[in-house]
Amino acid sequence: MKLRLGLIAGLSAGLLATTALADIKVGFIGSLSSDTGLSTLRGAQIAIDELNDAGGVMGQQVSMVTADTGEDVIEGVKAFEYLAESAEVDFIISGSIDDVSLGWMPRMQEYQIPTLDTWTSYIGIIDMVIEDPEVMAPYFMNIASDEALATLYINFGAEVLKAKMGFESVVILAEDTAFGQAITGLVTDALAPVAGIDVADVIVYDIGTVDFAPIFSKAQNSGADFIYQVSSVNSQVISSQYVKLQVPMAMTGVNVSALGMEYWEDTGGAGGGISTLSPVPSVGFPLDPVSQGFVDTYQSKYDTRPMIPHFNGFNAYHGLKQAMAAAEAAGGFSDVAAWNAEMLKQDLILEKDGQLWLRYGFWQHGEVEEVTGRTYPQNARFDLTSPYEDAQPSMVVIQWKEDGTVGVVYPFEYASTEFELPSWVK
Amino acid sequence: MPEFVERGTLRTMIQACYLAIFAMSWDVLSGRTGYISFGHPFLIGIGAYSTAILSKKFGVPPEYSIPLAIVITMFGGLVVLLPALRIKGSYFALVTLAFMELMYQLVQVIRPDLTGGTRGITGIKSLTRGAEAGYELAVTLMLGVALGLWLLMRTRFGTALWAIGMDEDSVRGSGLSTTRLKTMAFLVSALVAGLGGAYYAHYTGSLAPRALFDIDFLFTIIVAALIGGAGTIIGPMFGAFFLIFLLEWLRPILPGAERYFVYGGVALILYMYQPKGLVAIAQSLRDRVRGDNYDHRA
Amino acid sequence: MTQILIQGMLLSGLYALIAMGFMLIFSIGRTLNLAYGAYLLVGGYVYFWLCQQMGLPQIVGFAGAVTAGVLMGLLKHRLIVKTLNGDHVAIEISTLILAVVLQAGVVLLFGDSSKILLPIVPGVVTVAGAQVTFNILTATLISWAVIIGLYLYISRTHTGRAMQAVSMDAKGAALSGVDPDRINLITWGISGGLGALGGVFFASYTQLYPGMWVAPLIISVAVVIVGGIGSILGTLVVAHIVGFMEVGVSSWSPELRGVFTMILIVAVLVLRPQGLFGREETH
Repeated sequence: MKLRLGLIAGLSAGLLATTALADIKVGFIGSLSSDTGLSTLRGAQIAIDELNDAGGVMGQQVSMVTADTGEDVIEGVKAFEYLAESAEVDFIISGSIDDVSLGWMPRMQEYQIPTLDTWTSYIGIIDMVIEDPEVMAPYFMNIASDEALATLYINFGAEVLKAKMGFESVVILAEDTAFGQAITGLVTDALAPVAGIDVADVIVYDIGTVDFAPIFSKAQNSGADFIYQVSSVNSQVISSQYVKLQVPMAMTGVNVSALGMEYWEDTGGAGGGISTLSPVPSVGFPLDPVSQGFVDTYQSKYDTRPMIPHFNGFNAYHGLKQAMAAAEAAGGFSDVAAWNAEMLKQDLILEKDGQLWLRYGFWQHGEVEEVTGRTYPQNARFDLTSPYEDAQPSMVVIQWKEDGTVGVVYPFEYASTEFELPSWVK
Repeated sequence: MPEFVERGTLRTMIQACYLAIFAMSWDVLSGRTGYISFGHPFLIGIGAYSTAILSKKFGVPPEYSIPLAIVITMFGGLVVLLPALRIKGSYFALVTLAFMELMYQLVQVIRPDLTGGTRGITGIKSLTRGAEAGYELAVTLMLGVALGLWLLMRTRFGTALWAIGMDEDSVRGSGLSTTRLKTMAFLVSALVAGLGGAYYAHYTGSLAPRALFDIDFLFTIIVAALIGGAGTIIGPMFGAFFLIFLLEWLRPILPGAERYFVYGGVALILYMYQPKGLVAIAQSLRDRVRGDNYDHRA
Repeated sequence: MTQILIQGMLLSGLYALIAMGFMLIFSIGRTLNLAYGAYLLVGGYVYFWLCQQMGLPQIVGFAGAVTAGVLMGLLKHRLIVKTLNGDHVAIEISTLILAVVLQAGVVLLFGDSSKILLPIVPGVVTVAGAQVTFNILTATLISWAVIIGLYLYISRTHTGRAMQAVSMDAKGAALSGVDPDRINLITWGISGGLGALGGVFFASYTQLYPGMWVAPLIISVAVVIVGGIGSILGTLVVAHIVGFMEVGVSSWSPELRGVFTMILIVAVLVLRPQGLFGREETH
């Protein structure tokens, strides 16, 4: 009975939402049952609520239609088609993972609907923007691309792992995915020349691996000082086995599962000592007042996981408002070229204690980033050189301590704690 | 048709058409002979990957890459899967399942520069622009395949396939080569799978190993064929449209994971109620109506 | 080398336990239970729910998981196998659909983010340069205990021998006064319990996530195909072949982990369809 009432309530709410005078329609594409997808969905919803309370956009109310991808590529294509052709949305906000975004990309190119990706960081998509700016005009990515993430990580290697910990050599433990290959390539190319850390061995493992004991044995036999892990799929398995096996080497790198506050609960605490690079703002990242206000609203509105939105929730919140501001300036979303030009101009600077803390802006076409020497058009603006006066760093390194706290360990300007070895390694 | 429905509905129908082609391909082999293939995504995947790699990486125009992809699918399937036809019953299902898993692993490991590794391939040349043209192409393909199979099944070949499904030994006893028949059925099935897979790759514009060589994809194909009615031409088409539209109609009501739960539940109940599928349910309804008219039982 | 030996033994014990339940059903009913992986899924999540979310003692978690598995097994037999009257194809397809439905159910209840089970027994010891967790050691020891128990049950008890008889020749067994239906029901129950128990251990090795039923199913399929049906010993030996092969490949070229298992399946099926230890099927 209760269930039926709930269903009817849900149904009628759904009907009301679509029959109300909703003139601007936002489509959400992403998984409705993952922390990643929900972060984007809720960030966007809060931004929409705030816009509507302030009188809407161009005098119209904004509403949202959701399309679940279940993190499946084909479902993602169908979800995009649904948003574009059945729901006829004006703008799409995406919390898709990399391969799902790549899956619906041809649809976005065909429909030319302004779309903002908040989680996917694949540099290959930015390369598509460079190759064909006209077709990719509706596409923006407001998370720093993976190349920028990996580049700044090298500095962490030089300034912390080499200078402070005295590590001379590394063994890379990377999953067998495109993400793993890309990060491994970037890191191996730069670690020795830039950070002065030798790569003793690269071990690529299958993402279905059940037992990591032999792989950790192999890593130990390489004689390296520490392990660099690259894992985005099933990354809890490798990190929890690292902790359970008490592997006597430090391990850091990329561990996507450790990016949310639920990591501790999900691992039942079997994840202490793990450190990972994280896009900004990460867990344990000190927040500026505006972003803190967003988190407060979020927590008063939602009491289910994720308790604190992941970085893409912030991206969705700020990014959606920017997309609407761009539409207001361009006279709507229909003229994609005009919207694109206005979106490129969006620039939100958030300060903390009088200093630039976070910046939501975009790289322009032809604008060369100095450290990597390449362009990142329509990608989130980031800064790769201390003291980060132009924008926030592309990433921070966070570490989960064995008592369940988490903090930023690098860059030092944003640090809230220090990098430590797990107790069994000391 | 395109003039009367919304574009969104057209997109749903396109998906249904392609699923119907895959389900018909499965049905030629499994629905009739009783050799249950759990590896059909393997064949469809070869077709899809072949045309994608040929057109994207080697610049072969689709009018050549699609026929080539079909030939590759038939050849690849023949070399790899044919030895499995020696194996009977559940073992055949298992070995085809193993092939699908093997393909999933190999696509990522071997020549990721060609296959795109886990990220797959995106930006495959589209053959049509817009929902209407895509719909016309998909419907033409589906009806073409259906007509071709219908004609084929009316021949002695079709009857012989049925007989294999009933009792393989007696077919062999009557002097027919069951191996030749099964090989033929397999080649037809691979041809349709390769054709569907290749056109589908050009339609979606992107493919990824996780979407193709996947037990969920396999599930959808088999369930479409069986829910509709195995061993018929209309059945797999009916099943495909039913399942795809069920999923799309549920979307606005149950946007999240509940959708798959309800969808799977409906499929399970329907299948348990009548394993011969919707076609058989429709037939028995029709019979009942007629039966009441003539009132034989009374 | 010692490392590989130790790690191989540990992993193989787990695989043997997982494959055992699948083999039983396949031997007795000649039925592929494609929802077998779902026992592991449900077992793992029930344990997680009881122990890690409700904070109940571990024994309650195990009891809950195994009970859920047994119940599922019994229900599947009554509702699916009986209803479909032993139609193999229909049973295979229904169990496949059921597995997908259960996966959706888990997403509904627990979300689709993966979860880690706390070690069942915490602690770690280093033997000959290989780290061995007490958790995995416990899992392996319990697996062996269960397998030996199962072997004794099948070879020594009346019901067990009846199970063997049904597995060899159901009609003959029925003629000699064995009720194949009852034996089938018992087997489905045992299989469910074994699967759920295996699920708790498998999850404590890896992680809990809604799609976790596929990998153990593939492992079971591999072990049973290569081992052949109806042989506990065959299952045990092949579980070790698969386990050692995985550990061996992992310490040599970890990205090829799954490839060799699949090649082994295909090769054995094509060359020796009845499996290495199985008997020739008569029709």
